[in-house]
Amino acid sequence: MVKLAAKCILAGDPTVGKTALAQLFRSDGVHFQNYTLTAGVDLVVKTVPVPDTGDSVELFIFDSAGKELFSEMLDKLWESPNVLCLVYDVTNEQSFNSCGKWLEKVRAQAPGTTLPGVLVGNKTDLAGRRAVDSAQAQAWALGQGLECFETSVKEMESYEAPFHCLAKQFHQLYRERVDAFHTLV
Amino acid sequence: MRQFDLCLSSEGSEVVLATSSDEKHPPENIIDGNPETFWTTTGMFPQEFIICFHKHVKVEKLIIQSYLVRTLKIEKTKSKEPVDFERWIERDFVHTEGQLQNEEILVHDGYCTYLRFIITKAFDHFISVHCVSAEGLVVSNHS
Repeated sequence: MVKLAAKCILAGDPTVGKTALAQLFRSDGVHFQNYTLTAGVDLVVKTVPVPDTGDSVELFIFDSAGKELFSEMLDKLWESPNVLCLVYDVTNEQSFNSCGKWLEKVRAQAPGTTLPGVLVGNKTDLAGRRAVDSAQAQAWALGQGLECFETSVKEMESYEAPFHCLAKQFHQLYRERVDAFHTLV
Repeated sequence: MRQFDLCLSSEGSEVVLATSSDEKHPPENIIDGNPETFWTTTGMFPQEFIICFHKHVKVEKLIIQSYLVRTLKIEKTKSKEPVDFERWIERDFVHTEGQLQNEEILVHDGYCTYLRFIITKAFDHFISVHCVSAEGLVVSNHS
């Protein structure tokens, strides 16, 4: 039995619902209050069991400011990330287009290492205003090696799946590394 | 005054603290004298472990076998308890793809009862430490 610890960067444009997603996940589905701007980083810590093992992953979720203003501060706070959760708003095409920029910024913090990641399209409850196609997002995510999810934080739908996926990927990475350590001697 | 590996658990040394523990790869593996067994870290850095000699020793050379360690800091104390550690050594390791890092460090002023090893940076998400040995002398059998 092992408990891993992962620094999870939660990134994306302002107002896509990063904080709402993190808080919903932390509280197991208790609704979050009104919108407040995140300055710098808020930390959410939660332990996620890895299915079919006795193991778990403690996620240290760095809920990060989407505003450009805080960009420089993030460079320091994002040092040595382990996993990435990239969020966009399915009704806001610009927020989807920004994902490439966010991905690049986080990956620059972990040169030469594999960085497990998920792409999360939020606000699926606003079906009539959808501007980003699921297939389009899926195709881009696949090309970037990210697992793709859609959620509605408002309807409290599928908000756990992305984090469980990250925990699973990180656990898999640990197993692979330990196997490699065995072959060294 | 014979020279031997002061770190060996068979000589009475002990790992009294480690910040990671996978029960399959426990910190005791670091001082069992067998490089095939190892301790793994299980997440974010820094990570550390403390070796207790249960006696006063004078370390003259340290040998560390590890993988994917980037920066290692070593602190020491002469106290009876693991407190009042002072900075001692800091090393940047080289990335050795597919083989163990084998770092030999000749040291000065190696009088201590405990050694604290802090891995502050790594080349990947996880690292392994296979062996730490310390050549030197036993100064006194009381700690």
